[in-house]
Amino acid sequence: MLHDLLFRLHALTRRRDTENELDDELRFHLDRQTDKYVRSGMSEAEAARRVRQEFGGLDQVKDECREARGVSFIETLVQDLHYAVRTLLHSPAFTAWVVLTLALGIGANTAIFSVVNQVLLNPLPYPNPEELLAARPNDSLPNLEDMQRQTNSFSSSGGVNIAPMDFTGNGEPARVHAAHIDASLLVTLGAQPMLGRWISPDEDVKGGPRNVVLSFSFWRDFLGSDPYVLGRAIRLGDNGYTVIGVMPKDFTLPEHLADVFVSLWVAYPEGASDRDLHSMHTYWRLKPGVPLAQAQAEIAQMDHRLAEEFPDTEKERGTLLIPLHEWLVGDARPALLILFGAVGLVLLIACSNFAMLLMARGMARQRELMIRASLGARNGRLIRQRLTESTLLALLGGAGGLMAAKAGTTLLLALKPAELSRFGAIHMDTRVFMFVFAISLLTGLLFGLLPAWSASHGELAEALRQNSRTTATGVSRSLLRSFLVTGELALALILLAGSGLLIKGFLRLRSVDPGFNPANVITMYLQLPGTRYLQIPLQTNFRRELLARINAFPGVEAAMITDLPLAGNYVDHRVVIDGQPPPAAGTEPEVQTLSVMGEYFGVMQIPIRGGRDFGAMDREDQPRVAIVNEAFVRQLLRGQNPIGTRIDWARSNEPHQWMTIVGVAGDVKHSGLNQAVDPAVYAPFSQNDEAWRKFMTLVIRTRVPVAALIEDVKKQIWSLDSQIPVSDIQSMDDLLAVSIAQERFNMLLLGSFAALAVALAGVGIYGMVAYRVHQRTHEIGVYMALGAQHRDVLRLVMKDGVKLGLLGIVLGLAGAIALTRVMVSVLFEVKPTDPPILIGVALLLAAVAMLACYIPARRALSIHPMTALRRE
Amino acid sequence: MPARSIDLPQGTLDLLILRTLSLEPLHGWAVSERIQQISSDVLCVQQGSLYPALHRLERRGWIKARWGTSENNRKAKFYELTKAGRRELEIEQDDWKKLTAAVSQILETS
Repeated sequence: MLHDLLFRLHALTRRRDTENELDDELRFHLDRQTDKYVRSGMSEAEAARRVRQEFGGLDQVKDECREARGVSFIETLVQDLHYAVRTLLHSPAFTAWVVLTLALGIGANTAIFSVVNQVLLNPLPYPNPEELLAARPNDSLPNLEDMQRQTNSFSSSGGVNIAPMDFTGNGEPARVHAAHIDASLLVTLGAQPMLGRWISPDEDVKGGPRNVVLSFSFWRDFLGSDPYVLGRAIRLGDNGYTVIGVMPKDFTLPEHLADVFVSLWVAYPEGASDRDLHSMHTYWRLKPGVPLAQAQAEIAQMDHRLAEEFPDTEKERGTLLIPLHEWLVGDARPALLILFGAVGLVLLIACSNFAMLLMARGMARQRELMIRASLGARNGRLIRQRLTESTLLALLGGAGGLMAAKAGTTLLLALKPAELSRFGAIHMDTRVFMFVFAISLLTGLLFGLLPAWSASHGELAEALRQNSRTTATGVSRSLLRSFLVTGELALALILLAGSGLLIKGFLRLRSVDPGFNPANVITMYLQLPGTRYLQIPLQTNFRRELLARINAFPGVEAAMITDLPLAGNYVDHRVVIDGQPPPAAGTEPEVQTLSVMGEYFGVMQIPIRGGRDFGAMDREDQPRVAIVNEAFVRQLLRGQNPIGTRIDWARSNEPHQWMTIVGVAGDVKHSGLNQAVDPAVYAPFSQNDEAWRKFMTLVIRTRVPVAALIEDVKKQIWSLDSQIPVSDIQSMDDLLAVSIAQERFNMLLLGSFAALAVALAGVGIYGMVAYRVHQRTHEIGVYMALGAQHRDVLRLVMKDGVKLGLLGIVLGLAGAIALTRVMVSVLFEVKPTDPPILIGVALLLAAVAMLACYIPARRALSIHPMTALRRE
Repeated sequence: MPARSIDLPQGTLDLLILRTLSLEPLHGWAVSERIQQISSDVLCVQQGSLYPALHRLERRGWIKARWGTSENNRKAKFYELTKAGRRELEIEQDDWKKLTAAVSQILETS
């Protein structure tokens, strides 16, 4: 074995010497043999001829010797590569065209694979991520602590609750995302601070020290990456906190961005002890070897126990453990897999074109191949030579694809919808490079083998025999070409149908009336800071004053609301309706609750369908009023006249403080355009009895350019109170666009893949017809000389293309009906077998195919009979 | 040339080369001559196939080559048996004898 290896190496490194020695050795043999025959009386010439005959092809023997020495593989490869580079450089147009085709196909695949790799394949950035689970729904800290104590399946578990906190004392007040955590969260995730330490369990108690751990970005952006930050005091809310640690740059919570980490027990003890406050996202780490089912069973038992112990609040528990990765990928998975499948079809089409180009080239080079074959080159050797060439081409295409993908991912990033954004930047790692290399190699070998194989199969012999250029169409090759063209069209139709469905769904979605007019509306989020606005009258005064000042700007109407359509995070309350038999406590219907002030319905242009809008008379000392939406009337009032009906929040102990419904507002798609409208109750801020509603969104309709206004509005806010953070400044149009970004992303991507597919398939069928025309120049010439009309000639050359095109479209329709079914989850109000779409895309593709046939066919008309005949 | 010479059965060429070289180092042409002479021209070694076989044996380490001067005073490549080659020859000879004995037994008893 070792000898073998050394021998091969030796032979390789002394390639030229070995080659000379081989020459010398064989030459010696031939000379001796010739000598022998001459001595036995033959003439020199006769002897030489005899010897050559006996010996066989000299090149072939040399080849076999090289093979026997074991150097031939690499040596031949080098030789073939030389040859391939030379021939490719010889026909730059062909080379460029092939590389471009493959670069597009491979590039699109690589771009999507980069996303799939990042989102679906890369592990979570925590150690042993397969042990991590997320629990749904959210829970309260007392429940979490009970479950931590009474379960055995988990090595650790922790919870986090994201709450806004004001960071002041550093220029503009900033609203930062504070993670209210319990100390075991970091243990569960398996992370470590980069500087300092994490909050210890004995500090994570009521009245514990006010310590804070910073995120890397907070440390960098707000504290200038201060290396001596540990022990420094910062102001969060109305309290001073001591910095005890900084997290590393790449650390993030599984689902949230957080700027600072503080103990829930320390920052918000009322919330920490409230069993009913189910707002914590909890994460669990399985003990090694414990199956998920066992853990789930234990949690179910815990749910049962808690429900028995706390029937008031914990009756409806149903905690579900989900592997964290699965939970995070959630919605993105089906869309990504569909896109990945689609882009795979694009590659198949590109590969078919590749194969057809190689075949056409093979035909053009038939003479060269014939000569080489007659010089003793074996079939296998010729195939190998052509495979080297096709693989080289495919690898070049792969390199081009990598560049295309680089540009493509930049584009994807720009389009990146919210569902994907938590996965951070999309970058190309080794796996992506391996992927590109693998598909390029496979493409080159497989699709290079098809034409190489069909060419070596009998055709050479045939060509040799006929040695004419008129009718050398091998049957197997023509069949293969037809198959490829048909397949391309079928695949293109499937992609077209898929993207047609998505476009239709998207247009439907976009034409959904959100229930308000988003044009010229700017929104911003404010939060009244800590301890200075504890009473409702103080809050009301602030709001009223702010509205008055902003309304005084020329060209401005203003309004306020706690929650904004399409912004997410609603406050839901259970509601009771006067005059209806009260449902059992805890089963009252849930509605979205929104507090408003000012001309809210006017600014948002939400129509009032009945009754009246809020007015100046609905002040804090007046009877309590409410406006409900139409969904409320439809779903909850059972035909009762809404105006005058009294409603209240479901309260467990206090007496009812009824609100009288004075108006009905049009439905607003609060949760998203593709979501159903839930019942909603609007109430005036001034009659609010919930002092914790200190957050609000300021909604301003403008008649002047919005950007100029933002700074003035901020100044007004800060002239009232310089400690109020303002954030999330965006236009309503942007909010609307963000809410359908995922759908737009899917549509644009699949749409561009379909366009690429159609273009490639068009080129494929064009190439086939053009080739036929070229091949049959002579025949057409004769035909025309015999008096054929233009129409007849067109029919002759287009016939095959059109036939194959139609066949491909029919097959594609069948394929589309079978395949678009997987798209159900990403389609909005469109059935996967939507007849107008299917018919439409079939017609479109048919038109493209006709055009692709017609253009080269027209060239047949310009053939001059005499020239064609003379070519013979 | 005899009216009819027998083509070598697959795989026997290696054995013949090893056997031929076990007597003395020879160059390629001499090997083919020797095989033809000793077999009284019954066996016909396709000359083209001799060299790949020699190179294959060399790669396996059963023979080694060195350049020397031939009987007619020209530079020629001589092959000689290595130790491993000698062992291999014994094994193959043994196998061959067993094979031919078995085959002839079958032919005679039928």
